[in-house]
Amino acid sequence: MSKNLSQLARRQGIDNTLFQKLVITDAIDKSTNLKQQRKVLAKKFLVGEAVVHGAASFYDFLDDGSSSHNANKKAYVCNGSSCLCANTQTKVAETLVNQFGFDNVGHVTCLGRCAENGAFQIEDHNFSGNDIENLAIIAKEPSTASNGHYQVRCTLATPILTAEISETAKYYQLFNELSKQYEKQDLLDKLVESGLRGRGGAGFPTGIKWRSCLDEKGLAENKPEKYIVCNADEGDAGAFSDRYLLEQRPHAVLFGMLMAGFLTKAKTGVLYIRAEYPEAIKQTEQAISEFEQLKLNNKLAVDFIFKIIKGAGAYICGEETALLRSIEGQRPVVSVRPPFPTQSGLFGCPTVVNNVETFGSIHFIYSNLADKDNSGVAQYKNLGNGKSTGSKLLSLDGAFKKPGIIEVAMGTPLTEVIELAGGFVKEIKALHIGGPLGGVVPLSEVDKLTIDFESFATNGFLLGHASIIGIPQAMPMIDYIAHLFEFTALESCGKCYPCQIGSVRGQEMIEQAISGQHQIDKELLNDLLETMQLGSLCALGGGVPLPIQNILQYFCDEISPYFLSTKNEHVGEQS
Amino acid sequence: MNGCSQDKNQKQAFLNGVAYPIHKGETILSFSRRLNDSNVIPTLCDDTRLEPYGSCRVCSVDVALTADGSRKVMASCHTPIGEGMHIFTHSLRIEKLRKNIVELVLSDLPEQTLAKSQENPSTEFEQVVIASGVSEVRFKQGRKSVASVPLALNKKGENSLCDDSHPYMRMDLSLCIDCNRCVRACDEIQGEQVLSVAGRGFDARIIKGQDVNFNDSDCVSCGACAQTCPTGAITDVFRQNLAKANQSESDTAPINKVRTICSYCGVGCNLEVSVQNNKILSIEAPKDAAVNSGHTCLKGRYAWRFYNHDDRLDSPLVKIDGKLTKVSWDYAFEYIAKRLTNIKTEHGSDAIAGISSARCTNEENYLLQKMMRAVIGTNNIDCCARVCHSPTAFGMQKSFGTGAATNSIDDLKQTEFILLIGANPTAAHPVTGAKIKQKVMKGTPLIVLDPVKTELALYANWHIQLRPGTNVAVLNMMAYFIIQANLVDEEFVITRTEEYQSYRQAIMALDIDELATIAGVDKTLVKQAAIAYAKANNAMSFHGLGVTEHSQGSRAIMCIADLVMLTGNVGRQGVGMNPLRGQNNVQGAADMGCQPHQGAGYFPVDDEANISYYQEHYDISEDSLVNLSQWPTEIGYKIPEMFNAALAGDLKALWILGEDVVQTDPNQQHVVASLANLELLIVQEIFLSETAKMADVVLPGTSFLEKSGTFTNGERRVQKVNAVVSPREGCKTDGQIIVEMMQALDYKQEQYTSVNELAEKVLHEIAQVVPFFAGITWNNLGDNGLQWPVTKKGIDTKILHTDSFKRGLGKFHFFEFEESQEVLTNIDKYPLILTTSRNLEHYNAGTMTRRTGNEDIVSEDVLLVSNQDAAEKGISDQSKVRLFSARGEIILTAQISDKVKQGILFTTFHFPELMINRVTGDVTDKHTKCPEYKVVAVDIERI
Repeated sequence: MSKNLSQLARRQGIDNTLFQKLVITDAIDKSTNLKQQRKVLAKKFLVGEAVVHGAASFYDFLDDGSSSHNANKKAYVCNGSSCLCANTQTKVAETLVNQFGFDNVGHVTCLGRCAENGAFQIEDHNFSGNDIENLAIIAKEPSTASNGHYQVRCTLATPILTAEISETAKYYQLFNELSKQYEKQDLLDKLVESGLRGRGGAGFPTGIKWRSCLDEKGLAENKPEKYIVCNADEGDAGAFSDRYLLEQRPHAVLFGMLMAGFLTKAKTGVLYIRAEYPEAIKQTEQAISEFEQLKLNNKLAVDFIFKIIKGAGAYICGEETALLRSIEGQRPVVSVRPPFPTQSGLFGCPTVVNNVETFGSIHFIYSNLADKDNSGVAQYKNLGNGKSTGSKLLSLDGAFKKPGIIEVAMGTPLTEVIELAGGFVKEIKALHIGGPLGGVVPLSEVDKLTIDFESFATNGFLLGHASIIGIPQAMPMIDYIAHLFEFTALESCGKCYPCQIGSVRGQEMIEQAISGQHQIDKELLNDLLETMQLGSLCALGGGVPLPIQNILQYFCDEISPYFLSTKNEHVGEQS
Repeated sequence: MNGCSQDKNQKQAFLNGVAYPIHKGETILSFSRRLNDSNVIPTLCDDTRLEPYGSCRVCSVDVALTADGSRKVMASCHTPIGEGMHIFTHSLRIEKLRKNIVELVLSDLPEQTLAKSQENPSTEFEQVVIASGVSEVRFKQGRKSVASVPLALNKKGENSLCDDSHPYMRMDLSLCIDCNRCVRACDEIQGEQVLSVAGRGFDARIIKGQDVNFNDSDCVSCGACAQTCPTGAITDVFRQNLAKANQSESDTAPINKVRTICSYCGVGCNLEVSVQNNKILSIEAPKDAAVNSGHTCLKGRYAWRFYNHDDRLDSPLVKIDGKLTKVSWDYAFEYIAKRLTNIKTEHGSDAIAGISSARCTNEENYLLQKMMRAVIGTNNIDCCARVCHSPTAFGMQKSFGTGAATNSIDDLKQTEFILLIGANPTAAHPVTGAKIKQKVMKGTPLIVLDPVKTELALYANWHIQLRPGTNVAVLNMMAYFIIQANLVDEEFVITRTEEYQSYRQAIMALDIDELATIAGVDKTLVKQAAIAYAKANNAMSFHGLGVTEHSQGSRAIMCIADLVMLTGNVGRQGVGMNPLRGQNNVQGAADMGCQPHQGAGYFPVDDEANISYYQEHYDISEDSLVNLSQWPTEIGYKIPEMFNAALAGDLKALWILGEDVVQTDPNQQHVVASLANLELLIVQEIFLSETAKMADVVLPGTSFLEKSGTFTNGERRVQKVNAVVSPREGCKTDGQIIVEMMQALDYKQEQYTSVNELAEKVLHEIAQVVPFFAGITWNNLGDNGLQWPVTKKGIDTKILHTDSFKRGLGKFHFFEFEESQEVLTNIDKYPLILTTSRNLEHYNAGTMTRRTGNEDIVSEDVLLVSNQDAAEKGISDQSKVRLFSARGEIILTAQISDKVKQGILFTTFHFPELMINRVTGDVTDKHTKCPEYKVVAVDIERI
């Protein structure tokens, strides 16, 4: 990251970011000379032209001036893991190419239509399921409603994340009460007590994060400038729980951010929502204007504003430091930590970055605080195993008979979840849980797992963001490894060598084995996985070895023909 | 085990089992480096001058919280060291990890890289390859990221990966390892952001601008990228030569590295020059240099090929029958001695004068003024400080007692506010300019007071774009608003200053609206700026020739001093008043006494006690060449007075050391006529300049690369200049020339046997005469020099006026704004105002820079014209225009620009054939006679 670029961006403020200018100019002004446009932008933002070009060329949906870019296509076909496993995309792609021509069809990694599969996007509208059958109509009228639908269920007596929000004014009344009746430190103590941990995957205690942000002075001591950032760049293929919350429960998310702002003295909330979720952006915008209306009507006494930043197609922006750099108009490559965002985040100011679902839990936790035994805090912490508390949303993909979102208490056995989902539509051999960096759980291990951070970790898997994809019997595991390496190679920010070069060499090694060109050198593959795991800067390069090692371990027989080794050894064993 | 003496409170960490104290803010890497542990942690992406980046991961180490505790791999460059940490730099798994990472990097480089590294590891990268112990690349032939780099036509017209479009810079991405050091250096050191990365992941690649070649990009050729690149993917033409010489099997002559000081500006960058067979191969900036920490600009790094240019003079010349003719040194000295003696006898000592050079060393300046005073017997000695910073020296002496920067450039680290007046440091003082830009980009508030929208003005919070010549008006406005808002530092004013009350009264009686109109500025903007400046805890001010080269130059200096005192911004770190010195040794030339009113060490020459002081130190007796009764007691001529005296016939002989006054002094016709009227003009030069062409005797001197001595930079830092190559055949160092001349005139100046002996012994002599040099010796200057005053014990001074001012109390001065005579007389006929300045690529008359590749980067002076004026005069962009004033006219190319306001024109003066000084005028600063280069009434027309 560049401190200069962060501070130059800070001068312009959140309402005038280079990144949004790029996203918007690119979208509306396709006629004028791109270079000239960007030269003007560089001058205006007092940065080098290379900065503008460098940032723009990072994203899938921004024009980098090259002939091969993926921006401004008529249609995009989803190439996420779930659609891959569902085997729906060959047909989708062919149909789109027939309709629009090869050069007019781009790719997109996961539209969050994993419950229906067959996902594609036309002019900022997402489609899935059997929509492709109606392409002729959709192509003419892209605002045609999609057939995309999924079930939302909850196994809790009192829903937390899936609870209906009937009256917004009443919903935000809680903020007025809390901010008047409680001290910040008390409320932070209660948040810590609830045991809420970040739902983005890393599971960091939320109360501790917020408290450390409150304790930071920031750049100007007398006038603290701090930010609350909602990470809604739900890029994990197979996950759509954040999309659900933003589309169906946006006020729960806004409320959580509002509380975070109050408790840390931040006055601005930024929602970074991926471009792949146009409906989520629309619903959140709507919710923000309702929030603004409440302020205008004096129903809500608060000095806090929300701002939506629309992404432009880059998985790595889900990594918090990359996300912050993206907002600042820098290339969204991962920054070193420390400093942590709470110390130096957006524009170098103390910043809380939390996942959508984390914010979504706040209203419940702070409800009924006066009622000692039955307060939100007490109820929340009583769910789960003590370390992982509260509830969790699970995204079940089209491999399940009843795909969709399920809210369960932490600690719920995985088998129970599968039962609730009615089992599978086809024969599957493993579940890929927690996104591309989550573990591949063979059916044999399913009954050992409960939905919580600890159970997954001790068994050598990862709960992550709790998306569940069924890997069908028909999917060759060697192909799935190739897919994981390919995904990493495509989405690596390119900063650290283990991930940047390692993912490509891994992909090549597997592809060469599939094509029969070269069998895999077991020692070399293990060295590579270890190098990525130990050496990578962030969770992408560091995380992808896990599912691959799971496959090497549990599907040893299936993949051993691809290995050079003739000895009867377990290829997956770590040295 | 314990690595050092015990202190119970000292926090410790363990490095490979040994306990060491840790320092605040250290990373594991800097901790291990400080300890000089033999187990060096290799890295690729780290450069100590850049923020930790963490991309190569080669610096990973094992970290545990107890000696036998579980270990975690962490990158040492960005992980802070913590109390009780156990660091293992070379555990088995770490060594394996490093090896595997380097193997990955090699898998994306040309195949021969590993073999080449093993054979002759010359680059930083190749050395890390060897340290990592990689012996093979096991991956089967795969994709190379360089395949995604588009090819472009090179100079030979072939499609190539290598970018050779630029006069200096070179790029070959097949060698690039994506460490981003170049991108970060461009941003974090130079602050230009010309480099970035395009794409992402494996195919991410370094780009210039919007993916253009070096020549078409906005690259300022500072070379920071080339210096930090660990592989040579980005390099320059000179480094390429150095690399070739390093690998040459035919020429095994040793390559020496000599440290010296750049001669281009007052920043005083240290340079490390690689020399082989008495020829320069390449110049770099040493990382440990206090002034420039491994950075410099394109002039210092690349513009040195003039030193052995074919145009160099190689023999003394004497005008015989109207023609400059080659003669021997003996003949030249004898000739001069005879003629000078005749003139002295006939017209007296004061018919002779000398102009010294702020480009030359302290020793040479000292010797020339000594020759004029002790051998000729006149105070007619001046130097080019006259035409640049004489008002600074004069004004600051009046206000504070010392005419030099109060603080050091390093104080920028502490300052919280910057006031920049009449200076364009990113062009004229690039390394200091870059430091200021770094601060400002990161949010330090900046006021720029300048008629031109300079690069820094773009980043300024307040750019007060005043009309040239109205500094005093705006500075007075600022004082008014500060006093009005009750933001005066009362305690400072009461305890440290005098004459405040009368100053305050005069300021508060000013008509602010009238001043705003005069200066053409928005008074609200001035008010906001003044209040912000006064409220800042620590504010530093910088100024340049945009303050001094005015009819009210000295007064504006005192007005700045007033603001500094009003707000108590003097006497501690991060504050002060800091002139940005134009020439490398302009501070030194004045310190050494090349001024008509003060001798070496600034003692007034017309004071009896001082006269005795100098006579004593120069061993003057009744028997001396200039004896006690002949000793000059009157103040001598300033440079403009010399020209006038020559024209009037009072001055008969002039000795000029390394100055091309014909081209650089204002009102050229007047200068030429004056020189033509002399009986004897002697010029010491390296090229046959326009001035040298008029000389009766030309003595071939040497460039700074051929001499030893000292330069004093703008922050009073006296630094060692070391001869890199021997003097060009036929030439003598300028100091040696003066010494031999003194001897030819029968003065017993010591004989020196080498350039270094001259430097060392003359410096010793200076230390006896100049009190603030008392503790300076050739040896104790070391690599980074000393900042004067230096006590006898060798203690130097970073900040002046800490407890009291040199003059006791700081003195407030009030001056009314006065319109320049130039404007009053000529504005009706010539309604536009021309102001002049330097650009980044060239230096003064271009004598040096135009004999280098810089000429290929910028090859003419252009005239910046505002949109409105261009429209009114029907001038189109890049068209030729006639520029004329009451003195003369020239023709040059117009460029329509938003850098100047309506009514203002701007140009540079590096291309003397344009003769911009045909146009400039005679008005000078009232106190110092510094010419008003910055305000010229002109008009333009389309041709």
